[in-house]
Amino acid sequence: MAKKNATKQASARQAKIQAAQKQSGGGVNKIVVATVVVVVAIIAVVAGVIWSEQSKRDAATGGGNALPPGVSELGAGYPAFSDVTPVDGAPTLDLYEDFQCPACASFEGALGSTIEDLATSGKVRLVYHVKNFLDDNLRNDSSTRAGNAAFCAADAGVFQDYHDQLYAQQPATEGDGFSDETLTSIATSVGLSGEALSTWETCLTAGRYDDYVNSVEEASFADGVRGTPTVRINGEDVELATIQTPEALVQAVEDATQ
Amino acid sequence: MTTTTDPSTDEAGTARRDRVLDLVGLLARLFLGVVLLWAGVSKVGRPLTSQRAVQAYEIMPFDLAGYVGLALPFLEIVLGALLVLGLFTRPVAVVSTLLMLAFVAGIAQAWARGLTIDCGCFGGGGQIAAADTQYPQEIARDLGFALAGAWLWWRPRSLVSLDRILFGH
Repeated sequence: MAKKNATKQASARQAKIQAAQKQSGGGVNKIVVATVVVVVAIIAVVAGVIWSEQSKRDAATGGGNALPPGVSELGAGYPAFSDVTPVDGAPTLDLYEDFQCPACASFEGALGSTIEDLATSGKVRLVYHVKNFLDDNLRNDSSTRAGNAAFCAADAGVFQDYHDQLYAQQPATEGDGFSDETLTSIATSVGLSGEALSTWETCLTAGRYDDYVNSVEEASFADGVRGTPTVRINGEDVELATIQTPEALVQAVEDATQ
Repeated sequence: MTTTTDPSTDEAGTARRDRVLDLVGLLARLFLGVVLLWAGVSKVGRPLTSQRAVQAYEIMPFDLAGYVGLALPFLEIVLGALLVLGLFTRPVAVVSTLLMLAFVAGIAQAWARGLTIDCGCFGGGGQIAAADTQYPQEIARDLGFALAGAWLWWRPRSLVSLDRILFGH
């Protein structure tokens, strides 16, 4: 194609440039430079992939691998209000959330209390899937730490209150994350004190449920959960636009009750 | 140009035209180069997010899409840096243009299949609400980038390039 464009004038110009280059001692071997550039490019991309894999693995390890109360295996959701006996034919409501997700906070603000009413009255079997994919995108570890903190609170029987407070006190700017002070002040505000508080603090520092939160993240993505919040009733995705009001959600639950 | 046959005027006109076209080449290089650098840098250090951004297109097998997601940011940085430097402009422009056209095809198929995803072009990505999708804008934008690449594919010569300094063209 270069030849097509080369007019007489251009080639004359070219000759002049080449002559000037010879004078200035130019004449770099193009094939050598091309080889170097290609090799460096390949090394850069391959090294980048290996480094990314490594940093992904590092982010997912370090804490403990305990299972929250009522959870039988890694990757499974956390059944809330396990002391409530569900009514006959009550559907399972799976809720996939990330504590740093602003859309989850507004979802909780609009429907959280309705969901809890449904769960405490046994009309749904409520299962929380606490995810942490936003840690990667926001380049912090707040979703994992908040998730761990909530399951540490589950050990003391106050998961639900802790969960609600995390959304109520979600940082105004996405990405600012939860400080240890915030996590601890939530623990005291939901009633932990004395020995219960120090047990909770030990659990928080140890990252007792880090592996569990990571496993839920992976399992839910493999299950086709591509964003948060995701709501499933009896395993079926529910379009959020169809349950924007408490009444619509209650109706959807009633429709799914057998 | 007028009907004059004076060769010196003709040559001056061609030289001026060449300089203008070289300047266009420089602008195309810097535009596409900076865009690629920006796209790459915004994804580095977010391995999970960029893996999932590619997986959300549901084109390639899951694991392969994961590796593509890890490699893309670095490929974009390499291409962007070479364009800014003006080194091997034509081959780099060919690869960059084809990459942009592949992005356009990916976005178009997601749109056609009714997926509701963010393109993840400059970080982010993944599923979003149907009302938040911006397929036409994303396609138009990537076609604009492809146009800059196509210019350099057709005419890789430009001002202040390593190609010119090292190889004289």
